[in-house]
Amino acid sequence: MDNILQFITEPLAHEFMQRALLMSLLIACVCSIFSCFLVLKGWSLMGDAVSHAVLPGIALAFVAGIPLTVGAFVAGLFCAVSTGYLKENSRVKEDAVMGIIFSGMFALGLVLLTHIETDVHLLHVLFGNILGISTEDLVSAGIIAILTSLIMFIKRKDLMLFCFDPSYASVVGLPVKFLHFGMLILLSLTIVASLQAAGIILVIAMLIAPGAIGFLLSKSFDRMMMIALGVSVFSCVGGTITSYHLDAATAPLIVVIQAVLFLMAMLAQRFIRISPKSSAAT
Amino acid sequence: MIEYLLEPFQYHYMVTAMWVCSLVGVTCAFLSAYLMLKGWSLMGDALGHSIFPGVALAYILNLPYAIGAFFAGLMAAMSMTIIKQKTKLREDTVIGLVFTSFFAVGLLITSIHPTSVNVQGIILGNILAISEEDVVQVVIISAICLLIMALKWKDFLVVFFDEAHARSIGISAATYKVIFFTLLSAATVAALQTVGACLVIALVVTPGATAYLLTDRFGKLIIISMLIGGVTSGLGVYISYFMNANPGGLIVVIQTVIFLAAFLFAPKHGLLGARRTIRAQKEIIHG
Repeated sequence: MDNILQFITEPLAHEFMQRALLMSLLIACVCSIFSCFLVLKGWSLMGDAVSHAVLPGIALAFVAGIPLTVGAFVAGLFCAVSTGYLKENSRVKEDAVMGIIFSGMFALGLVLLTHIETDVHLLHVLFGNILGISTEDLVSAGIIAILTSLIMFIKRKDLMLFCFDPSYASVVGLPVKFLHFGMLILLSLTIVASLQAAGIILVIAMLIAPGAIGFLLSKSFDRMMMIALGVSVFSCVGGTITSYHLDAATAPLIVVIQAVLFLMAMLAQRFIRISPKSSAAT
Repeated sequence: MIEYLLEPFQYHYMVTAMWVCSLVGVTCAFLSAYLMLKGWSLMGDALGHSIFPGVALAYILNLPYAIGAFFAGLMAAMSMTIIKQKTKLREDTVIGLVFTSFFAVGLLITSIHPTSVNVQGIILGNILAISEEDVVQVVIISAICLLIMALKWKDFLVVFFDEAHARSIGISAATYKVIFFTLLSAATVAALQTVGACLVIALVVTPGATAYLLTDRFGKLIIISMLIGGVTSGLGVYISYFMNANPGGLIVVIQTVIFLAAFLFAPKHGLLGARRTIRAQKEIIHG
C-alpha cells in the first residue's frame, strides 16, 4: 500500500509535476466534454484540421507581438470558416478541401517558423511541453477551459440536438447558424488551451478518444459524457504520474492509455446489455 | 543574376533533393486523382501519421525504414477495418482514433529511445540530407507505383467509380482496393522523406483537387495533376535554397497557392468563371 501511495506522491513533490497535473486535469475536462459532441456530429477530423492550422497563427502572432494564443485562435477559426466557404463554392469534396486548407496552413506556419527567428520551439508546439508550463500558461488555459466547459455544459441540450439532427433543430427554432459557428469557436478555443500540454497532433486524440469510449459504453448522452470525463481524467492523471516514473513523454503516454481503454471498452461492450428503455438519448 | 539563379545546381545535394522530390511529387499526384474523387483524402493524412511508430522501430532495430513504415501502415489499416466492423462509431472517428494512437505510440517509443531516432526528420522531412540508400528506396517505390498505375489506370477508374460495371467485366473490386491502398502506403513512405508526416496529405490530395477544377476528363486530370505535383515539388526545393526555409513546407505552400488560383480563376469551375457563366445564362434568358 505504501508503495502505491509513494508511486503517486513522489512525482507531486516537484512543482513542475504539480503544474503538469493541474494542466492535464483542466484539459481532460474540457476535451472530454467536447469530444462527445464531436463524435456525435462527425466532426472528429475538424479537430485534426483546426489543430494543424494554428501553426501560422502562432508564427505571425510572434512577429506582431500579440499573445500567441490569440494568433492560434484566429488561425484555427480561419481554417474552419474557409473550409466551409471553399466547399460551398467549388465542386471539390469537403474532406479534400479540408485537407488542402489545413496542410497549406501548416506548411505556411512551418516555412514562417523556419524562416524567421522566433523563440517558439517548433517541437514544443507540435508535441506539447507539459513539464515546462509557466504560471501564465496555466492561468490562461484554465480560464479558457473553464469558460468553454461551462458554456458547453449550460448549452448542452441545444448543442446535442444540433449535433444529432440539424434540420430538426432548425425546425424547432434553434439558431442553427449561430450554434454552428459557436461550436467552431469553442473548438478552436479548446484546441488553443490544450496546445501547451498536448501539442498539435495529440490534442486530436484527446478530442476523439473519450467521446468514442463513452459512445461505446452508453446510450444516454449524459452518461456518455460522465464516462468520457472519467476516462479522460483517469488517463491524464495516470499518464502524467506514470510518465514521471518511466521517464517517458507525458502527452503520448496519456494518449496511449486512452487507446488501451478504448480497446478494453470495445471488448466490454459485448457484455453490456443496454435495455431499450434506457436508450433515451434525446 | 543567372549565375545566382543557377547556384543551387552546383550542389550535389540540391540536385538530388530536387529530382527526388519531383519524382515523389509525380507519384503522389497520380494517386491523388483517385483519392480526392473517392472522398478518401483523410486516409492520406491518417497513413502519414500512422507509419511513424514503424519508422521509429525500424531506426532502433537498424532495418530499412520502408519496411517498418509499411508494416505500421498495414496494421493501422487493419485496426481501422476491425474497429469499424465491431462498433457503430462513425468512420471519421475511427480514422482519427487509430492514427493519433499510432502516432502517440511512435512518440512514446522515441521518448524512451531518444538518441536513435531523428524525430524532426520524420515529422518535417529530411530531403536535403537524404542518404544514398534512401534515394534508392524512394526510386524503387516510385517506379513500382508509377508503373502499376500507368498500366492499370483505366481499371482503377472503372473499379472506383462504376463498381457494377467492373463486376460485369470481371474485375474484382476488393483486389484493386487492396492494391491501391498498398501503393498509397508505399507512396506515403516515400513522401515522408520529402515533406514529412504532417504534410503527406497535401501531396496526395492537393494536385488532384487542383486538376479537378481545371478539367472534366479523367485522363487529362491525371496528367495535369502529375505535372503540378512534379513541378511544385522541384520548385519548392529550389526556392528553399534562397529562402533558407523548410523545403517540404514550401512545396505545400506552392501547391496550396496554385489550388487557390485555380479555385478563383479556373475557366469553367472557378469562382469567377462560374459567376460569368451564370451571368451569361441570365442574359440569354432575359434577352
